[in-house]
Amino acid sequence: MPTASSPPEPRRRFGEHGLAWAFLLPSVVVFALFIIYPLGRTFYLSAHANDLFGAPSKYVGMKHYTDLLSSADFRTTLVTTALFVLFTVVPGVLGALLLVLLMEGRIRGVRFLRSAFALPFAFSVASASVVFSVFYNPASGVLNGLLSHVGLGPVGWLTDSQYALISIAVSTIWMNLGYNVLVLSAGIGSIPGEVLEAARLDGASGLRLARSITVPMLGPSLFFLVVISTVNALQSFGQIHILTKGGPDGSTRTLVYSVYEKAFAYGSSDFGTASAQAVVLMVVVLCCTAVQFGVLERKVHYA
Amino acid sequence: MKRSARALAALLVSGLALTACSSSGSGGSSDESGAPAASALDQASGVTTVEFWHSMTGKNAEALTALVNQFNAAHQGKIEVKPLFQGTYDDLIAKYKASVQQKATPAVVQVYDIGTRFMIDSKQTVPAQAFADKDGLSLDDLQANIRNYYSVGGKLQSMPFNSSMPLLYLNDDAFKEAGLDPAKPPTTLAELGDMAKKLTKKDDSGKTVRYGFGAAIYGWFVEQLLAENGALYCDAENGRSGKAGKVAFDSAKGAEIVQWWADLVKGGYAANTGRQTPDAQAAFKAGTVAMHLESTGVLRGYTEAAKFTVGTAPFPKTAADDQGGPIIGGASLWISGPGHSDAQKRASWEFEKFLTSPEQQAAWHTGTGYFPVNSKALEVPADKEWLGKFPQFQTAIDQLKATKPTTATAGCLLGVMPQARKGVETAIEQTIAGTKTAQQALADAAKELQPAIESYNSSVG
Repeated sequence: MPTASSPPEPRRRFGEHGLAWAFLLPSVVVFALFIIYPLGRTFYLSAHANDLFGAPSKYVGMKHYTDLLSSADFRTTLVTTALFVLFTVVPGVLGALLLVLLMEGRIRGVRFLRSAFALPFAFSVASASVVFSVFYNPASGVLNGLLSHVGLGPVGWLTDSQYALISIAVSTIWMNLGYNVLVLSAGIGSIPGEVLEAARLDGASGLRLARSITVPMLGPSLFFLVVISTVNALQSFGQIHILTKGGPDGSTRTLVYSVYEKAFAYGSSDFGTASAQAVVLMVVVLCCTAVQFGVLERKVHYA
Repeated sequence: MKRSARALAALLVSGLALTACSSSGSGGSSDESGAPAASALDQASGVTTVEFWHSMTGKNAEALTALVNQFNAAHQGKIEVKPLFQGTYDDLIAKYKASVQQKATPAVVQVYDIGTRFMIDSKQTVPAQAFADKDGLSLDDLQANIRNYYSVGGKLQSMPFNSSMPLLYLNDDAFKEAGLDPAKPPTTLAELGDMAKKLTKKDDSGKTVRYGFGAAIYGWFVEQLLAENGALYCDAENGRSGKAGKVAFDSAKGAEIVQWWADLVKGGYAANTGRQTPDAQAAFKAGTVAMHLESTGVLRGYTEAAKFTVGTAPFPKTAADDQGGPIIGGASLWISGPGHSDAQKRASWEFEKFLTSPEQQAAWHTGTGYFPVNSKALEVPADKEWLGKFPQFQTAIDQLKATKPTTATAGCLLGVMPQARKGVETAIEQTIAGTKTAQQALADAAKELQPAIESYNSSVG
C-alpha cells in the first residue's frame, strides 16, 4: 500500500484523467458544436462573397470589413447601437436600484410591490413588445390618448425618427426591470444584518445609509447587472423587430438588427457582410466587457 | 438536427431519383423541358408526397387547408400534399435559399410576386408552361394581367395562385358626414389630397380625431402609382426584355408621388402609422382614417370588423391623363425540378391545376378576398352569389378587367426587388421627416441599391 504522500500510480492517473474527460465530453461537444464551429464559420463567411442562395462563393479577404469601414450607414448603425446601450443600461440599472432602495423603507405591502416590480421578468420579449406597440400606436394608442387630455399633440412614438429609439429603449427598460429588481433584491438580502445594524447604531439612516452602506455593499450585484445589461442591450433584437423593423429611416437599426437585415430580411442573403458585422459585434461585446472588468470591477467591494 | 435529418432525407430522395432515372431508360417521361408526362404518376408505386411551403395565415390559411384536404381526399393512396407554413414571404425565401444549399427543396413553394426574378434565376424550378405544353393544356382561362405578370418571354413561369390588387378604401360614413358623396370617390392624387383636407376632422381642443388619408409606408403603393402612370420601375422594359440593371423610380414622377404623400402627412391631413401594415389597418378600422390604400386581400376582414360602411374605389391615378393601371400583387406557386422525382413533379402539377380550377378559385376568392386567377371562377354560382352580397368586391374585378396588359402594368422583374421596395420606403420616411427632398431621397435610394443590383446580376452570370 503506498502512503498518502507518495505520487499516484500512472495507471490510476490515466484513469482519473479519462474519467475527467468523460465528464467533460458532453459540454466540450456542445461547446464545439454550437460555439466554436459557428464562430469559425462566421470568420470564414465574412471573408467570402455569396452566390444567389447565400452560399460562400469566392474568397474576398478583408473586403467586407473595409466596405463596412467606409459605409456611412454602418457608422450610423454603430452610433445607434451605442445610444441604445446608453439609453437602456443606465436608466435600467439606476431605476431598479431606486425601486429596491425605496422598498427598503418600511412600507406597507412591500412584498406585493416586490413581486409586482419583478413581474416584467415573466413576460417574453415578443408579448411585451406587442403590448407596447399598442401603447405607441399613433392613431389609437394609449399614450397619445393620455397626451391629448393635457392638450398635447400626437407624438409619432415609433414613426418619428427623433423618438423611435427612445421609445424602444423605454420598452426595453421595462422588460429588464423585473430581472434587475430581482438581482438587487437578492443582493440587499445578502447584506449581513450586523453591518446594517452597526450603521444604524452609529446613527446612519435614509440617504446616508444607502450611500455609505447599502449601495457599496451592492457593488457586486450592480457590477453584474451593468455587464449583463450591456451585453443584453447589444444583442437586443425582438423588440426592434416587432416595433419598428429598424425604421423609421434606419433610426433604430442596431448592430444585431443590421446583421439580420443583411442576412435574411428583404430577400437579401448577403451572409458575407452580415458575418463581418457579426464579427464587429463580437469585438464590441468583448471590448465592453473587458473595459467593464478592467475599470469598474476595481471599484467593486466584495464582502 | 432537423436540418441534417432533412438533408439526409433529401440525399435518399435524390438517390432514389437517380436510380429511377437510370432504370427507366425506356419509359423516361421527362424531356429537356423538365416536365414529366402524366404517365410518371401512374408508374410511381405507393403514395407520392408533395411538400408544400406557404405563407398563409388566419382566414387565408383556413381556406388553403380546406383546399389541400379536398385534393388529398380525391387522390387518396396516390398523392399526399403536406402543407408547411414557413412564416412571412420574406422568411420563406430565406428558408428556401437554405433548402437549396442543402439540396432539400420543397416540391411546391409559394413565392411572392417580387421574388419572381429570383426564382427564375435560381434554376431550381420547372416552368408551368412546360407542363401545360406537355399536356396540350390551354392557359387562356388564366386572367390575362395575372398571366402577364408571371410570364417571361411569353412563357408562364409559375402558377399564379393568390393574386391581389390595391384598392382605395373609403369610410362611407365619414364621407357623408363631411358632405361628400362616397359614390364619387377621388380618382387622382390631387383630388384625393383635396378630399383628405375636407375629411380631416378636429375636435374643440384642436386635436385631430380623424385624418383624411392614411396608408402604411409600403413601397408597393409607389410601385402601383407609377404603373398607373404607365411609368416603368426599372430599365430593360421593366426587366421583361432582359435583365434589369437599374431602377427608374427616381424619376420626376416618382418624386411627385413621394412628395404628395409627405405633404399630406406634414399638413396634418394624413396619419403616419409607419411601415407596419397592421397599424395602418387598425387606424382605418377604428375610423380614425377616412381614406386608405390596401390590398383587396383584406376587404373581407374590413367588412367584418368595421363599424361603418366600408366602400371601395379604384386605386387612384397620379393624374387624369394616366394611361396605365395597377400591377398584380400576391404570390404564385413554383414546382421544384432538381432533386425531385418525375412522380413528384407530376403530382405537384396536378395539385397546381387543382388549385387554379374554377371551382377551387371561387372558393378561394370568396374565402379570402384574393382575386380569382381563373376567369371562369367568376361564373361559378357560389361566386356570383357572394359578389351580390359584397358589391365592394366588384371594384377590384372591374379594375383588373379595365387594365391593359403592358410592360408597365406587368411590374418590374428585379432580383433585388424586395430591397428596392425597402429603399423607396426609406425615401418616403426621409421626405416626411424633411431630412431630404423627395427627389434627393429617391436618387439616394437608387444609388444605394446599385451595388446590390450589380452584385446580384454578376452572381447570376
